[in-house]
Amino acid sequence: MTALPAPMPAPALRLPDSDGKPVDLAGYRGKVVLVNFWATWCPPCRKEFPSLARVRKSFKSAEFEVLAVNVGEDPDMVFSFTGLTEFPVLFDRDSKAMGAWPVKGLPTTFLVDRQGRLALKAVGGREFDDPEIVASIKQLLNS
Amino acid sequence: MNIRLLIVCALLSSASLFVRAEDETTWTHRASQGAVVLTANPLGSESRTAFYGARGFPEATIRPYAQACGFSFGMQNGSANKLTTRLADWHAVSADGKHVALRLPEAWDMEWVKSGVSEAARIAFRWAQFQSENTFEPGDWIMGMATLEVPLSGTFRLVARYRDDKGNHEIVLDKLSCAKD
Repeated sequence: MTALPAPMPAPALRLPDSDGKPVDLAGYRGKVVLVNFWATWCPPCRKEFPSLARVRKSFKSAEFEVLAVNVGEDPDMVFSFTGLTEFPVLFDRDSKAMGAWPVKGLPTTFLVDRQGRLALKAVGGREFDDPEIVASIKQLLNS
Repeated sequence: MNIRLLIVCALLSSASLFVRAEDETTWTHRASQGAVVLTANPLGSESRTAFYGARGFPEATIRPYAQACGFSFGMQNGSANKLTTRLADWHAVSADGKHVALRLPEAWDMEWVKSGVSEAARIAFRWAQFQSENTFEPGDWIMGMATLEVPLSGTFRLVARYRDDKGNHEIVLDKLSCAKD
């Protein structure tokens, strides 16, 4: 993942989860959060999705969270791909939330630091339990 | 067959035109410039009609796009430098030297607005395209569909330009042809 030239405050992100319950990124202040914008029709998104669960399990829930933001799809359709997940899947049905983020293609992933700032970004598929990315998360947790 | 199973079947079939392209070995065309790699697969009419039909496009509306000479592109920046692309700088060159530009996603979107395509379908379309302007940080790779402004018969070259801090560069995909169906 690439460090942003200067960490900037993460744009607002308040979306319903698969149960319709609103989830707000601001509520995770103090944790490092991996925010992943994706869709089921996007092959790199599908390929990297299992690694979100793996990296989520690598850290304590008190310090790290994954928010997978599905863009433009129906929760039933998404559920048929994800099944139950150990992290929130959020639904940006009209892509308005994503429009406020510096996203130009799917998948795009950000690491948000404990202060709620965008710290690192990746465009295109990744394996999020890759040692380099895990090290980046650890670095943010220790900073 | 229950609704969940139907959804899974629809997803698997409609996503196949991208899924096929996921594995690097299945790309039909590939070229590189240093560590920057461009790959392409021609896309047929039926697969695009099915893909966008599953996302809310009426068949008659998506027909001009599905029948246009289209490709799925994948571009990966394996270099240590940031690079940018503008689809407006890419073009196809036929054997007899005719230059054809790529049609920008925004031009298609104007058609969808005129036709009253739903917002959800337009979103799916927008994000499935190779974007008009892209920035690739080191390690980034982006996939997306694009079409030529007009079809070309026979084989042709696609000249894809990108820019980094050293200047302008080209990657040329040779012997492309529009899908037959």
